Amino acid sequence: MDSSVPRFPVTYKSLSLDIKGNKTDVVLCSYDDHFLVIATQIGAMGTILHARKEEGVSIEPTFNVSAVFGKRDEPMLLACARQLIQDISISGSSKSLVISLGLKDHSAETLKGVVSAVIENRLW
Amino acid sequence: MAREEPDVEVLNEAISSALVFNDEVKDGGGVQITCFSEVVNDVALHFQILRLPKQIYVWIGCDSAKLGRIYAAAPTRPQKDMISVTSILGGASDNTGAGIARRLVLKTGLNIILACNIPKNSPMLEADAEKMLVQKLIQLGYTRAKAEGSSS
Repeated sequence: MDSSVPRFPVTYKSLSLDIKGNKTDVVLCSYDDHFLVIATQIGAMGTILHARKEEGVSIEPTFNVSAVFGKRDEPMLLACARQLIQDISISGSSKSLVISLGLKDHSAETLKGVVSAVIENRLW
Repeated sequence: MAREEPDVEVLNEAISSALVFNDEVKDGGGVQITCFSEVVNDVALHFQILRLPKQIYVWIGCDSAKLGRIYAAAPTRPQKDMISVTSILGGASDNTGAGIARRLVLKTGLNIILACNIPKNSPMLEADAEKMLVQKLIQLGYTRAKAEGSSS
């Protein structure tokens, strides 16, 4: 059998850091059409949000961020997703983002910690 | 010993019809990531299994590395063996993968998030993918033994 070995096509990175005393596991994956970010302190994926860029007529793109699973009225989570999709857009990629946040608290400090950890290790 | 025989048979069958590549396990703290690819009938199936303490995330890729449709499945009360599945992303006109998610919950007892881009109307491919995935989960020790004594 000399068929070519299919290389696993998804790039991913996994790390663990401490945010406000809570051990946070962060996983980033890059698929063909999406980036997946998982940040968890609770041992589960938590709330899953979907963020995408909409190319409109005007020069500046608009972003659509919505929670698709879990808590739907947490503005800090939406803000976190929004910040990341904007970073993705600025870096030139037009992929959408699926982000799951299973955090013990939704304080600004925690979310900032998550955002900076993701951006530091970003795959885009 | 009797429990392992069906596994060996299934495994032999799978090996004879598939090539296994790229078996990689990475441990990043509380998260275990396992990735592997197999070729079945000229189609490359890619699997990514992410084990969190209380949940498992699985991605199944069929030739492409698109994320596909995402389903969430969990055991719901009152009975432990009642499983609910919901489509989180995509899946409006395409339910490929929902069945797999449901059966993974049965096998593992954990909440499952499954992302799958297997095309519509390929039941054979779906079945093959599920078989390989379950074998791997058993190998990794993520499944729970059935109360009746026969594992699958």
